[in-house]
Amino acid sequence: MAGRTIAIARNAFREAVRDRVLYNLVLFALLLIGSAIFLGELSAGQEAKIIVDLGLSAMLLFGAFIAIFVGVGLVYKEIERRTLYAILSKPIGRGQFLVGKYIGLSLTLLVNVVVMGIGVTLALVYVRRGLDPLAFKIWPAIVLIYFELLIITAVALVFSSFSSPALSALLTFFVFVIGHFSADLKLLGNSSGSLVTRFLLRGLYYLLPNLSNYSVITATAHGITPEPQVAIVSAAYGVVYVVVLLALASLIFGRRNFK
Amino acid sequence: MKREVLPIIVLLLGLGAVVALAHSIDKRRDDNARRFQDEQLYLNGLAAKRLSLAFNGLAADWYWMRSLQYVGGKIVNYEDTHTGQFQMNDLSKLDLRLLAGLLDVTTTLDPQFIPAYEYGAVILPEISPDQAIILLNKGIAANPSSWRLHQHLGYIYWQRQDYERASAVYAAGAKLPGVPAWMEAMAARMKAEGGSRDAAREMYWHLQETSEDPAVKDMVRRHLMRLDWLDDRDVIRHALLYYQDHSRDGRCPTSWRGVFAEFPGTRLRFDPATGAPLDSTGVPYRLVNGGCNVDLDPNSEVPH
Repeated sequence: MAGRTIAIARNAFREAVRDRVLYNLVLFALLLIGSAIFLGELSAGQEAKIIVDLGLSAMLLFGAFIAIFVGVGLVYKEIERRTLYAILSKPIGRGQFLVGKYIGLSLTLLVNVVVMGIGVTLALVYVRRGLDPLAFKIWPAIVLIYFELLIITAVALVFSSFSSPALSALLTFFVFVIGHFSADLKLLGNSSGSLVTRFLLRGLYYLLPNLSNYSVITATAHGITPEPQVAIVSAAYGVVYVVVLLALASLIFGRRNFK
Repeated sequence: MKREVLPIIVLLLGLGAVVALAHSIDKRRDDNARRFQDEQLYLNGLAAKRLSLAFNGLAADWYWMRSLQYVGGKIVNYEDTHTGQFQMNDLSKLDLRLLAGLLDVTTTLDPQFIPAYEYGAVILPEISPDQAIILLNKGIAANPSSWRLHQHLGYIYWQRQDYERASAVYAAGAKLPGVPAWMEAMAARMKAEGGSRDAAREMYWHLQETSEDPAVKDMVRRHLMRLDWLDDRDVIRHALLYYQDHSRDGRCPTSWRGVFAEFPGTRLRFDPATGAPLDSTGVPYRLVNGGCNVDLDPNSEVPH
């Protein structure tokens, strides 16, 4: 059973590579090389901080774009090409198919994030003229960014299981934006006088992913790493959230009528 | 190949035309750009922080570089329109009214951005010491363990000749963990002899030692050169007065020869050819007011 899921995952990864998704790495490399060379002139000694901010922000942004735009097409493409019928005619469940697709894209994102992380590390070594503690301290933040991307990918998959790619992309993007404000929802709920509003906002806070848990880029640029306990709980939150979303996507996709 | 010639020609001509048109638009736009270059900031720090999602660090960097470009651009413009090199005390003439806002947005987006507070501590006092104090107090609130921000705030109070407050700020900074011992000594010194030249010199030494910013180091170097000049001036004036009192007709000297004959132990350095005392950059001082007073050479780098 796991073998079939892995086969779909491998195929989804190959497809992403064939679609030149990893070409964004070239753009990322150019961005970092350009910053490493020119920032010395512009930043008054803050090259390392800016390289970390720029590198990790680009990693999150590029990753989010891949998660959204590739994620929403994962299922839709198979339906459009009618290859889905051939796949589902084999002894493979719809849930397995979705999970396989998800793992494939997650693998693509992992390769992307690791290569970008190495790029940022090398840029730091270049601007600091040698190994610097900051080059190691960025990695916990990179792991958290990856968890954030895993959640966005799962959100994209949920929307794509019942909606068109354009609408799914838009909705996923909204979740990405609101996910960074969700802590404010709780705050707003707490300060609201109305019980209904408070209940509603609290509900939204728990329902939507709290992506600010993964926003540690600014602190990392100052060499402050997230506390291990906080990072572990954030990672666990991400895993549980992804499991819930995949279950939801499977449920919707399982009920979908392709006739 | 033949088929491709026409598109290539069109491409090249088109690119040439685009460059020419862009150049023409830029020319027309220059006046407008100048008019709006000091337009108020659209966003305050909190709004910028909300809008930047997870990218607040990057947004802070952008505002930081914008602050540097803003000051740099004004200095370049000043040097283009005025004679002589730009000095730190010319800062007040630059009309840097957006700087406090830019640094406020930078530090709201990234409250741990210490270099932005330090930059404000150096530049803002020349424009608005109150805004510099607000910025540094914000920095201390966000970074309570940063003794360097206390040092900068103490320096601003000292510049305002508010030695009591300067002493209190140094004393508060001295209580922080890992702080150098001289912070406590500075607190006491500010209280006892805040306005003295020695206290100023000590403060500048410590600023020079602890700052990583080349602009701050350069500013401090100039301040130290100025303090040396003030010390030298006292010694030279004393020697000139002595010379005048002991000359036959009470005249001031016409050259430096013999002026320091009675002061062999002085710490001054002299030009072996003319006997003129040298400033800290090695440029000879000059006699003024008919030899009764001393001044810096106009070519000297030492600030007045």
